[in-house]
Amino acid sequence: MTTPALEISGLAKSFGALRAVADVSFTVAPSSVTALIGPNGAGKTTLFNLITNLDSAAAGEVRFLGRPLTGMKPDAIAALGLIRTFQTARVFPGMTARENVLAGAHLAMRSGGWQQMLWLGAARREERMLARRADDLIDLVGLSAFRQAPATDLPMGAQKLIEVVRALMARPKMLLLDEPAAGLNDRETAELAALLRGIRDIGITIMVIEHNMSLVMSLADEVVVLDAGSVIARGPPGTVRADRRVIEAYVGADA
Amino acid sequence: MLNAVQIIIGGLLQGSAFAIVALGFSLVFRVTGVVNLSQGAFCILGAMAMYFLQVDFGLPLIVAAAGSAVIGLAFGFVCGAAIFVPALSRLPMSAMLMVTAGLLTFMEGLILVIWGNQSYALPPFSREAPVLIGALRVPSQGFWIAGISAAIVLGLWWLIYRTGFGVALRACAQNPLAARLMGIDLNRITLVSFALAAAIAAIGGVAIAPLTTLQFDSGRFLTVYGFIAATIGGLGGMAGSITGGLALGVAEQVAAGYLSSLFANALALLILLAMLLWRPRGLFASRREARADVPTQRRVQRAVVRIEGGGAWGFIVALVILLAALPFLVPTGLMASLTIAMILYIAVLGLDVLMGYAGQISLGQAGFMAIGGYAAAILATSYGWPPLAGVLAGMALSLIAALILALVTMSLRGDYLALATLAFGLLIDSLTVGLVDITGGPSGLVGIPAFSIGPWAFATPRSMYYLALTLAAILAAALYGGMRSGFGRALQAIRADPTAAAALGINVSRLKVAAFAIAAMLASLAGSLYAFNFHFLSPDMVDTPHSFETVAMLVLGGEGTLVGGLFGTFLLTLLPTVFQPFALYKTMVEGGLLIAIFMYLPEGMLGRIAVLLSPRHARREVGSHDDARA
Repeated sequence: MTTPALEISGLAKSFGALRAVADVSFTVAPSSVTALIGPNGAGKTTLFNLITNLDSAAAGEVRFLGRPLTGMKPDAIAALGLIRTFQTARVFPGMTARENVLAGAHLAMRSGGWQQMLWLGAARREERMLARRADDLIDLVGLSAFRQAPATDLPMGAQKLIEVVRALMARPKMLLLDEPAAGLNDRETAELAALLRGIRDIGITIMVIEHNMSLVMSLADEVVVLDAGSVIARGPPGTVRADRRVIEAYVGADA
Repeated sequence: MLNAVQIIIGGLLQGSAFAIVALGFSLVFRVTGVVNLSQGAFCILGAMAMYFLQVDFGLPLIVAAAGSAVIGLAFGFVCGAAIFVPALSRLPMSAMLMVTAGLLTFMEGLILVIWGNQSYALPPFSREAPVLIGALRVPSQGFWIAGISAAIVLGLWWLIYRTGFGVALRACAQNPLAARLMGIDLNRITLVSFALAAAIAAIGGVAIAPLTTLQFDSGRFLTVYGFIAATIGGLGGMAGSITGGLALGVAEQVAAGYLSSLFANALALLILLAMLLWRPRGLFASRREARADVPTQRRVQRAVVRIEGGGAWGFIVALVILLAALPFLVPTGLMASLTIAMILYIAVLGLDVLMGYAGQISLGQAGFMAIGGYAAAILATSYGWPPLAGVLAGMALSLIAALILALVTMSLRGDYLALATLAFGLLIDSLTVGLVDITGGPSGLVGIPAFSIGPWAFATPRSMYYLALTLAAILAAALYGGMRSGFGRALQAIRADPTAAAALGINVSRLKVAAFAIAAMLASLAGSLYAFNFHFLSPDMVDTPHSFETVAMLVLGGEGTLVGGLFGTFLLTLLPTVFQPFALYKTMVEGGLLIAIFMYLPEGMLGRIAVLLSPRHARREVGSHDDARA
């Protein structure tokens, strides 16, 4: 069997008396799309924070491509090829959309500060190459008219798309996307689904938090359902949708 | 033994003074989350007002003291209503810190204009002779200070815990949004707290003035010591402020008694650094945990100003030609000032990388200028090193100092970093004055040779100007290369959102250190050139007010533009020369400018011009695109 892209075992975290994540374990297969769903407050974003060590877990371990992430700094985890986006779009204010996307290329850059300061040809060429790639990705998500606009001036949905392509610039091995479709209309959501399938098809593993059920059902290879910090169901979309506990968690126990 | 007790009593006395300043800090911090650097200046204002009312005007002690408190309160109200409250509603926290730094400078300048730069000493409140308890001698003023501190604490406690205003104040401190929803006028509470803190500081100044001599610029020491005391106690608490103040006072007196007063200064600043590292929330605060992906700071929109294309290159070429021709265009009387401005621009250029791109405030640029200046000067005069070697040695020394400081402060939030650099700058100040054998003390070092490289000597202001211009042009070109590429983008990303930057693999602390090191080395270079230019170096040429000045020059010109600082530097250097009779007002005007720029011209002169010149408004593009999609 191949090494799982992500292996989560016994992860736990509490905020005061609230058990945000309690003993969560599951694995994510390489080059697949895993959807993480669950009602508000189920601990989905906290799980992302624990995976990327933005919050430190009280117990448990995360392995990325077989390598334990315990104690690593968020930027070191990103350097391994595990890149995340945020629930509230976090484009960089004070920078244009293109500069935002280019900032994602930090890990992929070969030339360092010294070469850039000495105006070396290699650094200039790389800069031009990256700018072309950034423009190309911005075009791909239909935002070409916004390239030079301050990123914070973009509508929320567009900011989330900028965040996704910014993450792509880092040439990740796996993406953790926190509600990328929030703020998009139906047509844009369908385009996003196509984009994410394309990303998976070039071999990048995806784990996505999403509330839009039709997106989840059409996109995910595997669905993990979180409720009150615990995994209550997981499996292919069809199976999970029929699960009684999932329906209870979403609609209420009386239904 | 007796001696030790005596020292500790002295420490407690001094500590009460620190505690009073710390109380004012805590009050403002509790309501607004802002570290108000102007706190110490209100102490001096109170003491000077006391001198005026009691000594010049002959009013009785109690009346004069009450009058001073009222003056402090009134001035606090004016500053609060005109500056602090309006600024708070529109500026990010880091800018608030600079606004209060501007207020500190402005008040120092105002006191300088009114009372001059001589030292003042007030008579003690009661009989001159110290009170004898057994074999211990306690200055009578000590009892007054202790009593006044206790009265302030009781009064504050009553106000905060027993009045309706106190309830509102605590509500604002706990949850400003909820307080506003409940109909509490947040601005009013902020204003009253600010004015009250000013009055407390003024009373504190009145109480401690008889024990020491005070000058227009003594306020910044009280600010720093008060802040250290408040930090030890955990900013925001009353008990903590008092314990912190007393502990700091005792530690300082013990260090002064058994080692030297020079070491006492250093110790206080080391205590601060240790506290910031070990327990940034203070000795008494508890740890609170919150979700880490939710930003705690309010997001502030910044204008995106980009000058690009042929126009930008034309501008740069024209600027370089103008700068090269400038010595032939201005009267010879201005040549020396031009040289100074060009040298200072090198330091401002470094600060721009740190502040304008990485978003970190440094209030210690002058400290690195001092390291560079003294290293080069001492190596050239006492050891006969060639100037260039001295300059490089100074830069290496600054780099080491910057790395050590960065190592200590890297984990700190923005405000604390700025204050740590301020503490560093003051530490260097006290060393340049105190290490008389090495630096020549207050009278400075003389006989520094002209700068030279091999056979070429730069002995005239004009040749120094061209040297500085060449260096500045090379450095600016290099930094521009870095700032428009990945390095600059990463720094800007860190400034905008460190968490999101780290999620993209950007090593936040390493890049911050890099920016800090660049700023330190360029300041050091400027300091060395300074020494070679004047053939003389004294502590007041590179002391902490110059740190504030470089910040003012940068923000006036325009942060994050590299070129902008040039305008600010030339303006603030040449104006006082042109208006020589008004030199007395320089400090006050600089402080006022710092406040005004942060409040009304956050993008600086160059940024403003660029916005006016560029017809391409990004906002309109966004709008039209939305229309197209609809």
